[in-house]
Amino acid sequence: MDKKQFLNLLNDKVIILDGATGTELQKRGLPKGVCPEKWVLENPDVLKDIQRRYIDSGSNVVLSCTFGGNGIKLDEFGLKDKVFEINKDLVALSKKIAGNDSLVAGDMAPTGLLIEPFGAMAFEDAVAIYKEQVRGLLAGGVDFFFIETMLDIQEARAALLAVKESCDLPVCVSMTYDKDMRTLTGTDPLTALITLQSMGADAVGCNCSVGPDGMLEIISMMSPYAKVPLFAKPNAGMPRLVDGNTVFDMSAQEFGSFAPRFIDAGVSILGGCCGTSPEYIKELSKETKTLKPLPRIKASFSAVSSSKKTVFIGNKNPVVIVGERINPTGKKKLQEDLKSGSTLEVRRLATEQVEKGAGILDVNAGMPGIDEKETMVKIVSLLSNMVDLPLCIDSSSPEVIEAALRLYPGRALINSISAEKIKIEKLLPIAAKYGAMFVLLPLSDEGVPKLASERCNIVQKVFEKAQSFGYEKCDIVVDGLVMTVSVDESAALETLGVIDWCTNTFGCNTIVGLSNVSFGLPERNWINSAFLAMSIGKGLTMAIANPSSDVIHNLKIASDVLMGKDRNSNNYINYFKNNASTKDTSPSNANQSDNQLSLEDKIFDAVVKGNSEEIISLINQSLDKGNKPGDIVDKCLIPGISEVGQLYDSKKYFLPQLIQGAEVMKKAFAHLEPMLVKSGETKSKAKVLLATVKGDIHDIGKNIVGLMLKNYGFEVYDLGKDVPSETIISKAVELNVDIIGLSALMTTTMVEMKTVIDQAKQADLKVKFMIGGAVIDEKYAVEIGADGYSRDAYEAVKLAQKLMGCN
Amino acid sequence: MLHHFQYIPANPKKELILTRLGYKKNVTTFSTSDKTQLDAGIKEGLLLCAPQGIYGILDIISNNGTTIKFKNDIEINSINLAEFLKNSSRAVFMFATVGHQVCDRISSEISSGNPALGVILDSVASQTTDAAVAWISEFVDKSIKKSGQKLTVHRYSPGYGDLSLSVQKVIFNMLQLDKLGIKITDSFMLEPEKSVIAISGIESF
Repeated sequence: MDKKQFLNLLNDKVIILDGATGTELQKRGLPKGVCPEKWVLENPDVLKDIQRRYIDSGSNVVLSCTFGGNGIKLDEFGLKDKVFEINKDLVALSKKIAGNDSLVAGDMAPTGLLIEPFGAMAFEDAVAIYKEQVRGLLAGGVDFFFIETMLDIQEARAALLAVKESCDLPVCVSMTYDKDMRTLTGTDPLTALITLQSMGADAVGCNCSVGPDGMLEIISMMSPYAKVPLFAKPNAGMPRLVDGNTVFDMSAQEFGSFAPRFIDAGVSILGGCCGTSPEYIKELSKETKTLKPLPRIKASFSAVSSSKKTVFIGNKNPVVIVGERINPTGKKKLQEDLKSGSTLEVRRLATEQVEKGAGILDVNAGMPGIDEKETMVKIVSLLSNMVDLPLCIDSSSPEVIEAALRLYPGRALINSISAEKIKIEKLLPIAAKYGAMFVLLPLSDEGVPKLASERCNIVQKVFEKAQSFGYEKCDIVVDGLVMTVSVDESAALETLGVIDWCTNTFGCNTIVGLSNVSFGLPERNWINSAFLAMSIGKGLTMAIANPSSDVIHNLKIASDVLMGKDRNSNNYINYFKNNASTKDTSPSNANQSDNQLSLEDKIFDAVVKGNSEEIISLINQSLDKGNKPGDIVDKCLIPGISEVGQLYDSKKYFLPQLIQGAEVMKKAFAHLEPMLVKSGETKSKAKVLLATVKGDIHDIGKNIVGLMLKNYGFEVYDLGKDVPSETIISKAVELNVDIIGLSALMTTTMVEMKTVIDQAKQADLKVKFMIGGAVIDEKYAVEIGADGYSRDAYEAVKLAQKLMGCN
Repeated sequence: MLHHFQYIPANPKKELILTRLGYKKNVTTFSTSDKTQLDAGIKEGLLLCAPQGIYGILDIISNNGTTIKFKNDIEINSINLAEFLKNSSRAVFMFATVGHQVCDRISSEISSGNPALGVILDSVASQTTDAAVAWISEFVDKSIKKSGQKLTVHRYSPGYGDLSLSVQKVIFNMLQLDKLGIKITDSFMLEPEKSVIAISGIESF
């Protein structure tokens, strides 16, 4: 059966699939823990009984008993080497059973492993595994393919590609959705439909997880956008566990009663999943006997998708900004990162553009010194996981684009295809194979045409070629080709002419790369934004731009309002409501302006507010006025840090503010120290030795304690982490410390604290011990003979002061 | 069968990041510049985190209230864990990490850079690690719902109750964490530091 025959079949009548097979096999003695495929081949009469009952109940199609027939699943039973044979034999068995009474569809299902970019299994490995199964199914003589119960869009793509690259038979793809209307890896029904139908699935649907009522909701989400037939295979209601067995709560009659509603919703193919039996299929068949599928009105819309989101383009949809910043040209930091293999800058640029409202992210990895294909694939994999937005694959190399499209778990936009021979010959088939939308660049091997009319001719020619690959006008986006006005005064007008023609004559979406128009001119943002507004007025639907530009962004959302693309101006209102400036809520001396504060108050304030920029200048001003360094410390700095401590204690300040205050103190003390020594104003400081005990490598908390103690005037020696007790004791003796501070974060290492304390006692060392760490508490401190426990850095300071009698 | 997630879209809750830093709602206040620095620090922390994880499921062969025997000859002695898994037929062993890059940056900021930024990064990394293991948990829960099963509401980790920290080594080996570049010290600490192992039980509805 070819694809045309398949479609014709669906025009004539509602096709009834079979119902559950697994549970029927169990009823007939399939033991637990054995390979169902192998067992059925050993007990062919069981399958004959099941499938004949389904056919006699009205099934027009039975699925081959190959749900677990892929190499990964068969390997669980040591049958990895028998994939071809098992699939072939099982199809042949079903063909024999069905005779001329029913079609046989080759059943394919998940491997159970997650595929890149989400999981560890290589995409090509997944395709190869499914291809192996497809070969067996083909050899058995399947009429078409049925890929079902897919939990992950990428695995569904791998299975679909495996079929497409092996034969021309029709293929149906079915996903499974949870109660949140998402697959396990987060794909919603609409996004799955957009991706799979553009990739060449001949029918798309859903099965399992929900009963008919839940599945109707899923179908209704898909139906307005379906360009291929839809199908549904619901469960017999919801599962319940009764005496250790799973049972479903819907009767056959009730199940069947949903059939007319499915047909009204746009479904052409109906079947049953878990909990159903021939009885359920009989009811479906009865209810659909006199019904015909609704005439298929092919929806006309433009959309691209990621694995988690669909973005619509054109018509009444807002203008889509394609974020241009993931492009190494002119970006030194990004170039360095890509060369070193780091993705930090890519992630930063992606996050910023998402936050600033980009609808799609353009990805370009073209630069000398790196493997562009490898880098592009790496970035596409990363972004497919990291962001929800669809991607625009931007490269001049067909090989790079192909590698990215193969792996990309959605429907991408390609930038770009022109009338250049190599692009037409190489890129069009690639784009068509993966169902990508593409930016049509109206230039040829002869160069960029100056006039709009010449560009429009090229658009026509390229589109005609694209049509031969199945493309429609809604699948392309014409780039107006923006040249710079500083070189050619009419450049913008010509581009506007192209946009106008595409909108009002040809009938397709349009895009411009904004930045080009203003190249070489000062204050480029004004030119760019004026051009954007004018282009939108002519019908522009997309723009490649920097979403971080407030001018561009605000102009875009304002234009959406004016063009009737922002219903009730909701987006516009919400944007400015959410981006109103926040008020300063700091506990400052609000009643006094800075000018009215004395110098001493300003120094105090600088510590309290963590103002490290001005502290030195303020101290110098105070010194110039004749104030002593010691007085500055005692009257301004110490009171300041004490205030910070109290604010922290009362939770009016949190940890970063406490530390900022401490850093200001550190800077101030470093500046004043030489002067204090010279003027004899230094006081001897208590000495503290800090260490994370042996076997423990955590030291962040200890480091913060050290920082705070220094800034409160303690002399701190830090031995680091994983420090043996002997080292701690010997250093304590050598430095003649007053306090030893021990840190441990684990139950396995905290015991070492007692070892240190015991050793200190044995050595008759006169020191105080303070301890801290996530698993430590006051009780433990008492138990091991420590002098105190502190919960955090500030408590450590207070404890140290208390131990030294200097609160 | 082990399931590895190369990148987990873990989104830590901002309020938890702040709480970890001692923030108290309606009490703690900060200036506009403090907020800008805080937001920038959180953003930087999220960028530096590279959450990935792995999980495996083992059948529970027996649970006598003290010792739990799992398939693959794995045995864990813990009264508390046995109680936790008393209604479970299987157990899920999960691991999540946010990687080395953020840990290295935290160390360098605290020791010789910007300690205020360092503690913000530390809080983000800790919360993101927790969010990553919560994501794995949710993923597994969704995947077993079909068969009428669910995960225990809470998770249990080595070091809780009487579950010895040494069990980290058992789980480390079971999940083959060395293949992810993870290390475990003689004191059973995971490296990088911002890594976590957790156990959940699979129960029937």
